[in-house]
Amino acid sequence: MSTPVPISSSARATTTEEARYRIDYPLAAARNTRVVALDEAAEMIVRAASEEDWGQARFYVAHDPGHDLITMAGETVPLAGELEQSNTVVMVSTAGENSEAAATIGAACKVRGIMTAGLVITPGRLSSEALLTLRPYARILLVPADEDDLVELLRATRA
Amino acid sequence: MLRKEINDLLTQTGPGTKMGELFRRYWQPVLLAEELPANDCPPVRVKILSERLIAIRDSDGNYGLMDEFCAHRGVSLWFGRNEEGGLRCPYHGWKYDYTGQAIEVPSEPATSNFCENVKLKGYPLVKLGDVLWTYMGDPANQPPLPEWEAYTVSEKQNFTSKRLQECNWLQALEGGIDSSHVTFLHSGNLNTDPLFKGSKGNEYNAGDLKPFFEVVDYEGGLLIGARRNAEEGHYYWRVTPWVLPNFTMVPPRADHPMHGHFWVPIDDDNCWAWSFDYHPTRELTDTEVEAMRAGKGVHSANDDAYRPLANKDNDYLMDREAQRRGETYSGIHGIALQDSSLQESMGPVVDRTKERLVATDAGIIKARQKLRKAALALAEGVEPIGNRPEDQKVRSVAIVLPKDQPFVEGIGEAMVAKPGVPQTTV
Repeated sequence: MSTPVPISSSARATTTEEARYRIDYPLAAARNTRVVALDEAAEMIVRAASEEDWGQARFYVAHDPGHDLITMAGETVPLAGELEQSNTVVMVSTAGENSEAAATIGAACKVRGIMTAGLVITPGRLSSEALLTLRPYARILLVPADEDDLVELLRATRA
Repeated sequence: MLRKEINDLLTQTGPGTKMGELFRRYWQPVLLAEELPANDCPPVRVKILSERLIAIRDSDGNYGLMDEFCAHRGVSLWFGRNEEGGLRCPYHGWKYDYTGQAIEVPSEPATSNFCENVKLKGYPLVKLGDVLWTYMGDPANQPPLPEWEAYTVSEKQNFTSKRLQECNWLQALEGGIDSSHVTFLHSGNLNTDPLFKGSKGNEYNAGDLKPFFEVVDYEGGLLIGARRNAEEGHYYWRVTPWVLPNFTMVPPRADHPMHGHFWVPIDDDNCWAWSFDYHPTRELTDTEVEAMRAGKGVHSANDDAYRPLANKDNDYLMDREAQRRGETYSGIHGIALQDSSLQESMGPVVDRTKERLVATDAGIIKARQKLRKAALALAEGVEPIGNRPEDQKVRSVAIVLPKDQPFVEGIGEAMVAKPGVPQTTV
């Protein structure tokens, strides 16, 4: 006589049939992401991404010393205010410019417990000024990232 | 988060699917050589990429992999007689050689040419190291035989095992790419497992529980670097290579053998987790091999069908007391089963429309993107990467570098497999 499979066992719980009973409910956008371009070429990439449909993501440009950000509409806003509700900041660099701004943003994120990511968009180059600029401040770096990696990252993280 | 159609694209590997076509451009491990131990040994059923096949080793030692079912009436050739240079169907005596070509149809006249036109679909089956490999794509596109270092060293320098994992291949692969889970799930094993303990790197692991990650795009796939604080002015880097579509290596610890995996789809709900250990410059010791056979390191203790003894039917032998004591983080013993138990718990094919990835999942995000792009590009005629010998001469690396040095520069040639050159390890 075979042994009955208990209803809570892994053998039963991992079946396709049981997957049907997983609770189905809409997921809120958990990410409140700020995307910051650190140079002109990065701005073009960030601006293109900003035109897609996002939950709570907002998009900016930063110049040294980085205490203010510039929105895609050209408005200057204080960094501290824009970080208030945020839990992720993605910095995008192609050239390693505005390293002081990267440091300012990185430090501001660190004290607020905000996750930082960096995209080093230097096609074909594994080492660059952009990498050195972002490395100290980004918990995760994509090197070299493709231009579409920004949109991919934002979509995957429900930004 | 992935849209359903992308999840389907990445997880379905049967004939005619885009990811299936991509897989069919690479040599894949199919059987351990021990499964066909002698000429004229019993045939073995194989399912790979959702195709039912039969593997044989004929009277002359030729290995063959072909359609499991007789062309005549669809009988499984697993019941066949493997003798005198071929596999004979026991129903009406049709006989096939190792390529699947019919060589005898007893009901036909002796001079008939009937069997010349009967050929089962067949694939090459080649022994490299102690593993049998196949290529299931168009012969016109067949790449050179694989040159993974683990299978170019002597057999005494390598130990390979396989275990059934009862979930889609991508769930298993993503575990191999995701370095961040080691800090939690495997934390109990670093200082106790005989194939991991004693490494200076373990101290760095324990001393910095929040690693930084760099995901580097390189020609064969990705290099995922996890960095932790080391001595003043230095980082400890663990670099995991992923080569398309399904090869990963674990960064080494001390002078222990190096290990890695292939994650091979059986069908869309199951895969083989192939696990290997090798040392580039010396034979494995008896003690190391004994530990591997016992399921230590990346291996598992399995039954005769290569299903782990701890499996979902016995709740993976969950040990709540060991979990409470901190010996294991999840209550499951052994690194391999710690991974597979959680990956199987997601269900056969996890619904990735419901996941909440975080930025530190960037390696997984990037790997999915590269797989998707490679599969779609192949459909447009663009050749895939990862199936050339130069893509396969890769090693994982553990190294301490100055803080201002990019890890790709710092590791330099250390990630390139070179005969007789020791691994770079901490």
